[in-house]
Amino acid sequence: MNQVRILGVGAGAPSLRLLTADVNAAWDRKGGRGQAGLCGSDEDSLTLAWDAATAAIDAAGLDAGVIDGLWWGTSRPPFLDGPSHAILSSALGLAPHVAGILCSGSPHSGIEALLASADAIKAGSARFALVVASDDLRPAPGSSYETRAGAGAAAFVLADEGGGARIVSRVTRSRPLLDRYRGDGDTSQRDIYDGRLFRERIFLPLVAEVTDALAGEDISSWSVPDPDGRLGSVVAKRAKAPNLTCAPIYSELGDTGAAAAMLGIIGGLADIGTSAAVAYGGGRATAVLFETELPVAGTEHLASALREGKPVSYSKALRVRSQLIAGGETVPMGVPPESALFVRGAEEMLQLLGGRCVDCGTINTPPSIHPHCANCGGPKLEAVQLARQGTVHTFVINYTMPAPFEAPLPIAVLDLDDGSRIMLQVANDGSQVEIGRRMRLVLRKYAHERGVPVYGFKAQPITESQS
Amino acid sequence: MSWNKVAVVGAGLIKMGELFDQSYEQMAAGAFSAAVEAVDKGFDPSQVEAAFVATQRGTLWGQEGIGGNTIPTAIGLAGIPCTRIENACPSGSDAFRVGAMAVASGVHDVVLVIGVEKMRDKSTEEGLLSRAAAGHPIFTRGETAPVLFAPFATRHMAEFGTTREMLASVAVKNHYNGARDPYAHFQNEITIEQVLASPPVCYPLHLLDCCPQTDGAAAVLLVSAGRAHEFTDKPVFVAGFGVATDHPYLHEKDSFTEIKVTRIASDRAFQMAGITPAEIDCAEVHDCFTITEILDIEDLGFVEKGRGGIASLEGETSLTGRIPVNTSGGLLAKGHPIGATGVAQITECWWQLRGQAGDRQVEIRNGFALQHNAGGRGSGVAVVNILTNRNGI
Repeated sequence: MNQVRILGVGAGAPSLRLLTADVNAAWDRKGGRGQAGLCGSDEDSLTLAWDAATAAIDAAGLDAGVIDGLWWGTSRPPFLDGPSHAILSSALGLAPHVAGILCSGSPHSGIEALLASADAIKAGSARFALVVASDDLRPAPGSSYETRAGAGAAAFVLADEGGGARIVSRVTRSRPLLDRYRGDGDTSQRDIYDGRLFRERIFLPLVAEVTDALAGEDISSWSVPDPDGRLGSVVAKRAKAPNLTCAPIYSELGDTGAAAAMLGIIGGLADIGTSAAVAYGGGRATAVLFETELPVAGTEHLASALREGKPVSYSKALRVRSQLIAGGETVPMGVPPESALFVRGAEEMLQLLGGRCVDCGTINTPPSIHPHCANCGGPKLEAVQLARQGTVHTFVINYTMPAPFEAPLPIAVLDLDDGSRIMLQVANDGSQVEIGRRMRLVLRKYAHERGVPVYGFKAQPITESQS
Repeated sequence: MSWNKVAVVGAGLIKMGELFDQSYEQMAAGAFSAAVEAVDKGFDPSQVEAAFVATQRGTLWGQEGIGGNTIPTAIGLAGIPCTRIENACPSGSDAFRVGAMAVASGVHDVVLVIGVEKMRDKSTEEGLLSRAAAGHPIFTRGETAPVLFAPFATRHMAEFGTTREMLASVAVKNHYNGARDPYAHFQNEITIEQVLASPPVCYPLHLLDCCPQTDGAAAVLLVSAGRAHEFTDKPVFVAGFGVATDHPYLHEKDSFTEIKVTRIASDRAFQMAGITPAEIDCAEVHDCFTITEILDIEDLGFVEKGRGGIASLEGETSLTGRIPVNTSGGLLAKGHPIGATGVAQITECWWQLRGQAGDRQVEIRNGFALQHNAGGRGSGVAVVNILTNRNGI
């Protein structure tokens, strides 16, 4: 069987942070330290996955088109039942014949995606495999989990040769026990029924079964599950795990659910030695052992990927989680997301395609509205992906829009590096937008319309650490 | 010299505003009646052979499918030929142009051009602002009307040093004129400080940089030039017109310091009229936002490119300035009932050329007035009409 090697890694973090103290204050509880990652209204498990996957593909030095399969693990796919995997594949620019699976059902799904992708590499059915774990946990307001539930993503590019690290071994244990779960009709996770019961008879015994299996290995760094902010340290103590590379992730983003194990071990893949990623959820526990010979490409960007979260009020957090909803009607999208325009335009929107004129080279965006070149009138255009970076030519900040729009909304006209021009919404903090500012394009959610998330590219200022 | 095949013998409008008590049909009847009454030697409505009606957004008053059949019955002319013209913000201007061509062709001798628009039968949120969700799901998401012009302001400020005070001076001047126009929506004067202190709408534009939402209607009567003296001894003639189109989306604009269609449409109109911009005595131009008028006066050739802001601040476009612009108060003060706007601008030009503009009358030296609208998402269409009081026949 082939080796399973890691060519590159990437991480994704949401733009917002919710402080424990603010949650506690809302519920008349005292104090509280720490924070959790929170998706803005244009972010979700898919956009986080896109951020991490794009970074991992870049780190691996690959063209997205050569990737044979996408294995994606998340407990909250944007569609409970629908085209989540196909949308992410398309937005990443993966080939139309791309293989892979959407693993879901519990926070254990991230590591399940990793194991399944590793199997494809081992078997030789995939030469390059992309595995992404992402989550955007949605706790019930007032639940004990609310201060802890976070969001984040991690992605690895696997192959049978190259890269700085490999997967050495793995162990999984499965028992039919109920912990946190969502049933039909639940919009948020139900909290643990009995904290002591969970700790003593469910979580710790199950995790111990997989960590005990690693006894005797010389493990230099660990990522362990920590569903309540205390149990992680108990696991670490019992496993005699000294170096917890997951610690900075938990303190920045809280529990990232399906992403926790892979995000937590990125720090381990930065240092030579053996590291262990332990995942837990849905009555299952898994430990994966990695051997790092050289720091894996992309690990150096972990810190900058986690930075730049903006603390928001508790009421804002409820709003972005759709748990505090204004009365009155919202203005519906003129084009329903189930309609023909979205069928015709699916790929040109998700991949931000233009039509390059064969005669004069002008890029016309998008192709479906340009049967002829806008510059020379020529009828021959070929689809091309627009450049993903550019410079602000001009911009506005819209303060006056009806619901569901959120003001202020910066919108920028960009001169992209391929010579084309595009006007897009600006993601995150629009206060950094100015003429001449360098921007990159990132996948974000433009709307959530009739229950359907609508994705497209937005512009984001390039920070110093990214340039 | 000029084209001069068509004469305007009557023109009128109703008082603009939030006309909650008037229906679309009642507004149309009021405007038609005003135009008929304005004909010097009297006008029998049954002389109207055909009508062209401009209404841009039927969706704003609740009837999505307006056709040519909507107006004639409402104004007592049931059965006459009638065609609806929808060509974005220049709908009224273009209905005038098409009406003039219908007369010039010899098919009709007497044509009614009427513009009617209900902007306030729906709430602001469900009405004009709802366009934030219309159009392309990505490229126009969040694109309310100010988004179509504010990027030009940002760029004009960066390239030419245009300031918010210069933008504000346009609103101050147009409100000054509007205070002298009995038909204007707003009839109060404002100061630069008030414009600067008004709430932000869409950076860099604030509330008083924006035209209001206005209900309104306006009508003009066109006749073949040879029959003009049956109706009046002071006819105003159509000297020329021009239309130009451009790509609809903002990201397709080559420049954010000019509205290209305005330049091309006005070149065509000036060529047809055989005159230069310097011969225009006054102009009604599209000032949906203050920046738009600054771009207009540059692109129409009244001031050098880049000088629109300083020229406005220094009063070159005031009633007594070198080239008076928007003597009626413009869209900013008179209002912008979209389909009616162009026809109302024509009416102002007609009054000015006939010396009937009262307190806002400007000096008519050469006998030419220009009317202009631009619009259509990212200024994808502009229409320019030039009128004259000179009889070129």
